[in-house]
Amino acid sequence: MEIGGIRRRRSRYAPEWTRREIGMVLAGYLLAGLMGAACFFFPLFQTAVTTAASSGTLPNPNPVAVSSAPFTVLLLGSDDDSKFQSDRVLTQSMILVRVVPETKSVTMLSIPRDLWVPLPNGSKGKIDAAYSEGGAHSAIQAVESNFHVKVDDYVWVGLQGLVNVINKLGGVDVNVSNPVMDDFYPADIGTTNPYGYYRVAVLPGPQHLDGIHALQYVRSRHGDLREDFGRSFRQQQVLLALKAQAGHLNAASLPEIASALNGEVKTSMGLDRIRQLLPLVNQIGGPNVKQIVLLPPYTAEGMIGDQSVVLPNWDQILPLVRQTFP
Amino acid sequence: MKRALAAALAVGMVIFGVSVYQILDSLKGKPPGTHRPVSGEHAAVALPGVMYVTQGGALYRFQGGVFKSLTKAEGWTQPALSPDGSQLVAVRRYLNHSDLYLLDTNGHVIRQLTHNASGIVENNHWSFYPRFGPSQTLFYSFDPKDPSNNYRVDLAVYSMPLSGGTAHPWTAPNHYTGGDVAPIPLKSGSLLYSKYEISDQGAVYSQLWIQSRALASGAPLTAPEDDCGQPALSADATMVAMVCSHPQAGNTTIELAPLLAASFRLGPRQVLATGPLVAAPVFSPDGTELAYMAPDAGGGFQLWTVGLAGGGAAAPSPSASPAAGPPRQVTSGLAFDSAATPAWAA
Repeated sequence: MEIGGIRRRRSRYAPEWTRREIGMVLAGYLLAGLMGAACFFFPLFQTAVTTAASSGTLPNPNPVAVSSAPFTVLLLGSDDDSKFQSDRVLTQSMILVRVVPETKSVTMLSIPRDLWVPLPNGSKGKIDAAYSEGGAHSAIQAVESNFHVKVDDYVWVGLQGLVNVINKLGGVDVNVSNPVMDDFYPADIGTTNPYGYYRVAVLPGPQHLDGIHALQYVRSRHGDLREDFGRSFRQQQVLLALKAQAGHLNAASLPEIASALNGEVKTSMGLDRIRQLLPLVNQIGGPNVKQIVLLPPYTAEGMIGDQSVVLPNWDQILPLVRQTFP
Repeated sequence: MKRALAAALAVGMVIFGVSVYQILDSLKGKPPGTHRPVSGEHAAVALPGVMYVTQGGALYRFQGGVFKSLTKAEGWTQPALSPDGSQLVAVRRYLNHSDLYLLDTNGHVIRQLTHNASGIVENNHWSFYPRFGPSQTLFYSFDPKDPSNNYRVDLAVYSMPLSGGTAHPWTAPNHYTGGDVAPIPLKSGSLLYSKYEISDQGAVYSQLWIQSRALASGAPLTAPEDDCGQPALSADATMVAMVCSHPQAGNTTIELAPLLAASFRLGPRQVLATGPLVAAPVFSPDGTELAYMAPDAGGGFQLWTVGLAGGGAAAPSPSASPAAGPPRQVTSGLAFDSAATPAWAA
């Protein structure tokens, strides 16, 4: 063997290495590294597959290229306990979120779950029924046709999914707005009796909430003068707090989050969009966040038959939506 | 020889693959970690006197810069000290109810003061925010039942003799707001507390409220738009500290003001500390500093203090005593219960 012009005698114990063997060893190491990476990112692939499969006919309702263009996401939250068939759940929470990456601004509009609207199946009903009739596609159609907005993506989260993701983030810091008291809070997580209930008292002031207590804060409505509107305010508040908590996430965190959400999230958002959002999370805040809850005069309480509903005042709502979701 | 080397290389490949996994795992952003204080654990800074705090349902004494665990993690929260510092009243929280207990300063239960448990979920009661009042009385927030609507659960301030007996309501909370919390009985016989309200526009806010006697209408000490709560009173009852929320600015402040109790007013307010979340202010026994809780960069609510120039003993004046020096972090890596104001005695 000649190295650097110096002829060396090969040890009689040293094996002879052909280029082919060296190549095989390098390829082996490359394969081992890829296997390690694949195992690490496996939950992410699994969620992506689940997401695509569960989206059915709706992999992405209005695909947009990953860019700095503004986009609108419909956030959907459901009670997905055993009271309901897994594919027939209502959406207790519907929040339209518009993100403008260029100005690093966010607008959140909570849609009352009892809003009485024309549904995609031709009937009229509460808007929370749209998802149970036809999944995310139907919920998006209901929102797009009634609010005259274009929804680019959706994210649906179940109860346990929200608890899991908050716990994975290490909890959430929230300034609890007032004592949130509820004597009939549903005991429907991790139980065989989904009709059970227990008492909740989330005390006011700045504090750190784990997933279960954060869910109590955003889900309770019986003791609030504003009922569903009250929890809409709280849901937006916790979303913003989650945004702050997610500031320490990076691409390497995604598999663990995906693992926590597995089966409890459905989304049309691709990994590219999520990766694009992560660095933005830290930059959005303060006056660049606009929160809208459709209290009177945008809506009014009413009765349709024996149902207590929220009646929309479209003359007030649509100009507001045109302005905030152009 | 070649076979042995091939085997070694194969093992090396497996180790390499596992290493790649571990390196990726180490790169992920992790939520900050916290731990429970252990008896004998030292804080960065020692505070004068003795302080009682709670974390994760356990009660701790913090004295001379050292923590001592007084109870197991059994739902303990919101400790309050008797005027002579020889006893504590604390809340023990269960799934559907909470009760008040009288304890000695080593965390041993002397007596259960309330009996709020019921086998029927909605017939349970809560008791929170205990405070010793004058003449061996105890003030606290309690949820009376509304016989006409069992969805309404609002906390009202009640008082009861410490020796036991009938509890009497002191406040009439605004319906469906969560109610009245954090009572502080004054030596004059008046009561200072936080009252919650929801505006016609759907905004929820708290006001510091003062009333001279039970079930009197009382008067606000702060404006609705200030959203101030969590009152703390200096030992000489001349200064009030409070937490005010500023959602538009995305922060909360701890503010200090002279209490002009005779005229049911506060003097000019001064901001002592600002942060995304600051909570649970309490005056030092000598009035020279104020402790509060706020998360640090590592997460979890920590103890902080800020000095008070001239102390809290100054007579009420047109201007509040200025803060002396910047906030000082006392603990790190812990995760105190920030809904439980510490109890601090000499």
